[in-house]
Amino acid sequence: MVDKNALEQIVREVMKSLQESGPKGGDNPAVNADQGLDPARDYPLTTKRPDLIRTPTGKSLDEITLDKVLKGEVTPQDVRISAETLRLQAEIAEKVGRPQFARNLRRAAELTQVPDDRILAIYRALRPHRSTKEELLAIADELESKYNAKANAALVREAAEVYERRGLLRTA
Amino acid sequence: MKRSKRFEVLEARPVHEDGFVQEWPEVGLVAVDGPNDPKPGIKIENGVVVEMDGIKRSDFDMIDQFIADHAINLEMAEKVAAMDSKELAKMIVDINVPREEIIPLTTAMTPAKICEVVGHMNVVEMMMALQKMRCRKTPSNQCHVTSVRDNPVQIAADAAEAAIRGFDEMETTVGIVRYAPFNALALLVGAQTGRGGVLTQCALEEATELQLGMKGLTSYAETISVYGTENVFVDGDDTPWSKAFLASAYASRGLKMRFTSGTGAEVQMGYAEGKSMLYLEAKCVYVTKGAGVQGLQNGSISCIGVPGAVPGGIRAVLAENLITTMLDLEVASGNDQTFSHSPFRRTARTMMQFLPGTDFIFSGYSAVPNYDNMFAGSNFDAEDYDDYLALQRDLVVDGGLRPVTEEEVIAVRNKAARALQAVFRELGLPPITDEEVEAATYAHGSEDMPERNVVEDLKAAQELFTGPITGLDVVKALAKNNFTDVAVNVLEMLKQRISGDYLHTSAIIDSNFVVKSAVNDPNDYAGPGTGYRLTGKRWEEIKNIPFAIRPEEIGQ
Repeated sequence: MVDKNALEQIVREVMKSLQESGPKGGDNPAVNADQGLDPARDYPLTTKRPDLIRTPTGKSLDEITLDKVLKGEVTPQDVRISAETLRLQAEIAEKVGRPQFARNLRRAAELTQVPDDRILAIYRALRPHRSTKEELLAIADELESKYNAKANAALVREAAEVYERRGLLRTA
Repeated sequence: MKRSKRFEVLEARPVHEDGFVQEWPEVGLVAVDGPNDPKPGIKIENGVVVEMDGIKRSDFDMIDQFIADHAINLEMAEKVAAMDSKELAKMIVDINVPREEIIPLTTAMTPAKICEVVGHMNVVEMMMALQKMRCRKTPSNQCHVTSVRDNPVQIAADAAEAAIRGFDEMETTVGIVRYAPFNALALLVGAQTGRGGVLTQCALEEATELQLGMKGLTSYAETISVYGTENVFVDGDDTPWSKAFLASAYASRGLKMRFTSGTGAEVQMGYAEGKSMLYLEAKCVYVTKGAGVQGLQNGSISCIGVPGAVPGGIRAVLAENLITTMLDLEVASGNDQTFSHSPFRRTARTMMQFLPGTDFIFSGYSAVPNYDNMFAGSNFDAEDYDDYLALQRDLVVDGGLRPVTEEEVIAVRNKAARALQAVFRELGLPPITDEEVEAATYAHGSEDMPERNVVEDLKAAQELFTGPITGLDVVKALAKNNFTDVAVNVLEMLKQRISGDYLHTSAIIDSNFVVKSAVNDPNDYAGPGTGYRLTGKRWEEIKNIPFAIRPEEIGQ
């Protein structure tokens, strides 16, 4: 039997983290709205729905040509995925029954806004015994307030709780 | 004792050089059914798992908690827990029960339950199940392209050859870590010279691997390791949360990735907790699922000597591949490290994945001689190419490779070496001489290559890593030197990360740069005459090995 008090505590914690994280994948209805994609009809997007794809710089796929690369009109920012495209792919993933994968893509959509160096630094901070609880919570706040990365912030807060319980925080 | 001549002969056989060990369950030296393997079960209250496989939530270690909160489809979990495991096993093997009816059940199982279910199957049943449960309909193959001297010209030539031999994915790694940017660049240029659309990666420490991907020198990643016990996971310097974050980081840059795990890792690292190799590996598969990663490389991988030494170990390795597909994940199914001196054992081990077909039968097949393989060898290597082609032809099985002629191999190796020579010149890297191009064109391994100035190479490689050069500069360098087709191919690979189609489960890219994944090529196997069939042009290709006698040429 599960101890009743402990159970209540768990439920409270989970409810709290759910409220904090909002719906899975962030709580902005505009960015999570169903675009009406049909995996059988619309995937792969490259060939079936190129009209929906834009680079983070607003270019379409057929604007990325060898000619333009040679003229210096294509930058590394033009060969990146946009948050919107990742959310389209997340919608495809959900519709083929892969909810965990879809959540990963929605977290990724948030991380498109975070610079490379900061991503690498946050990854290192999440490794065991690297951070204090306060440091992890500060990262979560930064992700949420600076990058609107709510799902990632929830993941980091969850890690902070588990690391504390399992002795995986930095002690010195 | 006077020795038996029979026994002396037997002891001289290669199989006697292999390590075999009796089970030692207390330390986890047991393939399945460890003394501390938990009994299956799940309790859910208010949408929260309060007990899983006999462990209360308050006693969950970090792995249990991650699995309970992220990996299991809770809607069906209690129903599936109550179902008879043998009946579930029968459904999974039964050709009349389609994959799409199985997945909601298997993704609702706990780790102990899924082990109990596969525990009812023998290897033939597991192969039947794998044939039905793998995600992508079309099977495929991955190779290793490495050089014991990290010779970039050789890597480019071998990658080009491997591409025309049919590999859809290629993995390199390093002898000296600082060579990594050169190896990644050489693999990219070589692969795209051989065939546009081949995916390439460079196995390194996690953060470095991501940086190479961000620069556009690789198109996917695989060596993101996860483990089945908390101690070993932490020893590996990660947690499920750090790995889940890393997974999203890759996707945020439009890069495909999969995790890596394998039976035997925990006992090898000394913290198996008296649990069986298969149970601990099942937990790795669940961590992968929970992190939202599309797939997993498993099949013991670098620990194959451990399950290979215990009774039933190779069956357990097949079972871990199967569990991966049961959780609806891409499987790159191992067969990649030398585990036996016996050619019989090596072949038998590979038939478990070769016959049913997997997303990547090897992960990978050594496209270089064994002495050049920097992943500690592979179960099959470049010297086994013709044996492998014969196996495909004998059994009418698509193992992912195709026959080639000596002339086309020589031509494509030469082109790749010259393309890399041009890129090195254009980017100001230490020159590749015509002598090196010539050697790489005809080489079998690094012993056939002239030596390079390692000090100069390493300095330039480091500058390439820290400097501003990206994949786009590689495209420009190729185009300026009239390797327009290769330039277009490299650019198309960069464009893949704009649309993200290849982030999906089991994605490969064809020569027209169209993604084929579990979304648009789902496995629909339902018994004889269904699913992937080796017929038509592909069978003609596999049939026509150049070393077969042509009856019409006899007697002329």
